[in-house]
Amino acid sequence: MTRPDKANGSNAAPDGGTAKRSRKKVQSEAPSRFYGTTLPGVKLEELSGTLFVLEGTDGSGRSTQISLLTEWLESEGFAVQTMGLRRSFLVGQDIDALMAENSVTRTTLSLMYSTDFFDQLERRILPALRSGLIVLADRYIFTLIARSAVRGIGRDYLHGIYEMALRPDLTFWLNVRPEIAFDREFKKAQTISYWESGRDMSLSNDLFQSFIRYQSLIKREFEYLSKRHGFIELDGEGSVSEVNRVLRKRIASHLGIRSTHYQPSHALSHLWR
Amino acid sequence: MVMLHIFHIGFAVQKYDMRLHSSAFYMAITFPNIPAAEDTAPVKVVATKRQYPGALVVVEGIDGSGKSTQLYLLKRWLEIGGYRIHFTEWNSSPLVKSATRRGKQRRLLTPITFSLLHAADFADRCERQILPLLHGGYLVLADRYIYTAFARDAARGCAPRWLRNLYSFAPVPDITFYFRAPLDVAVNRIVAGRPKLKYYEAGMDLGISLDRAESFRIFQERILSNYDQMIETDKFILMDGTVRVNKLQKLMRQIVGERIDLGQFAPKKK
Repeated sequence: MTRPDKANGSNAAPDGGTAKRSRKKVQSEAPSRFYGTTLPGVKLEELSGTLFVLEGTDGSGRSTQISLLTEWLESEGFAVQTMGLRRSFLVGQDIDALMAENSVTRTTLSLMYSTDFFDQLERRILPALRSGLIVLADRYIFTLIARSAVRGIGRDYLHGIYEMALRPDLTFWLNVRPEIAFDREFKKAQTISYWESGRDMSLSNDLFQSFIRYQSLIKREFEYLSKRHGFIELDGEGSVSEVNRVLRKRIASHLGIRSTHYQPSHALSHLWR
Repeated sequence: MVMLHIFHIGFAVQKYDMRLHSSAFYMAITFPNIPAAEDTAPVKVVATKRQYPGALVVVEGIDGSGKSTQLYLLKRWLEIGGYRIHFTEWNSSPLVKSATRRGKQRRLLTPITFSLLHAADFADRCERQILPLLHGGYLVLADRYIYTAFARDAARGCAPRWLRNLYSFAPVPDITFYFRAPLDVAVNRIVAGRPKLKYYEAGMDLGISLDRAESFRIFQERILSNYDQMIETDKFILMDGTVRVNKLQKLMRQIVGERIDLGQFAPKKK
């Protein structure tokens, strides 16, 4: 099982179901789970788990969906491991420090993020996949590629670095308009951060304009990546429960789970809108 | 005898030609180059052809080959003469120090993260020191450069093509001196001067041998052979590390004088 089917790539409202399940057997024989060179010391046949990726700009609702999906999968009896940006033991805190200083240059930041990514991949994700876990990634190489690409770093260069990344089983793209993302992010923090608005790129002195222009650049980069890597595009502006329903349907059909019924527990009910 | 390979490189061409190292190495198999969304990028691709008035001189070689001593003497010569120079070392920036320390202490580094961390460190030096100085007309002297990563990280198992791509933002040196000493000579120089070899330094992460000295030797042997393979492809000038220090330095100064127009870095007469 690997490569998201290109034909289904940008289908906004997939209706999952029976056709998928029958394809699953064929998929499990398909080889390359890496884009290019395999990571040193990794045996692909050992990786029995499944990797699902949620991508989308700031304010697209990824983290909310990951919390809900984790609970749903656990209630179905699947063990879940998560990953996200700047969460590696090795350099996570160093990136935070670098970003606080605002003096870091683009290539350095880009490479620190790739260090962070590969540390998590090698030390957390691959062991989880070896043990048959479901990995839910809150952002993946695509955000890292998009952010660097809009800053003028070559796309081939970036794809070259990440050719040793593991190809996700399914990549969901929660697509929202920058204006909506602005509303959501502002509501969250009562302000807009330096990096979310791409202020290092000197796009505009007005924070709102800067945010919109930056997120629009990222969004266009995602449109390109979506075609290249066969994302499953979802309307991130829909309600939490509606987006979650579509996600569950696709994931259930991929894993062969029959029931997609889910009602969040009391602990998570505040997320359910 | 002094081993010296002089390659016929047009001086002026090499001096101002900042090529991508890896244009020929980009993989096109799994990531077809789809020219879409080109207009989204406000700045164009990193390190395409750029011109600068500065010059870059690099020394490479395994530990104990004598390269640092020779570069130090070259630096002293130029400093005393009042030239506009800057000296830079591999792995010297505070940027990744805490991460490297953390990774080394707990032995968390894999060949890939080891390599990426050093690349991030180099990128910092490159974008904040080397490139601005080259544009500002300095003669930059580098003790170890990207070839150190090519030789060492490949010995750890990273794919050479991946490494070439990783460092493709780096400017190509005007001169790369490759100091070569026989393995035994180099290894003895290091082992004699150090009470204990460090874990990563000795390549213990590769699991070649439980004996540090033994592991170090095999690791250095692999690195040496990787360096040797770059002599022609990367136009190294081969320097015999067993030649007497002052004799070798005389030769080094002579080559620098022949290949670089030192006049442009000389102190300006008032």
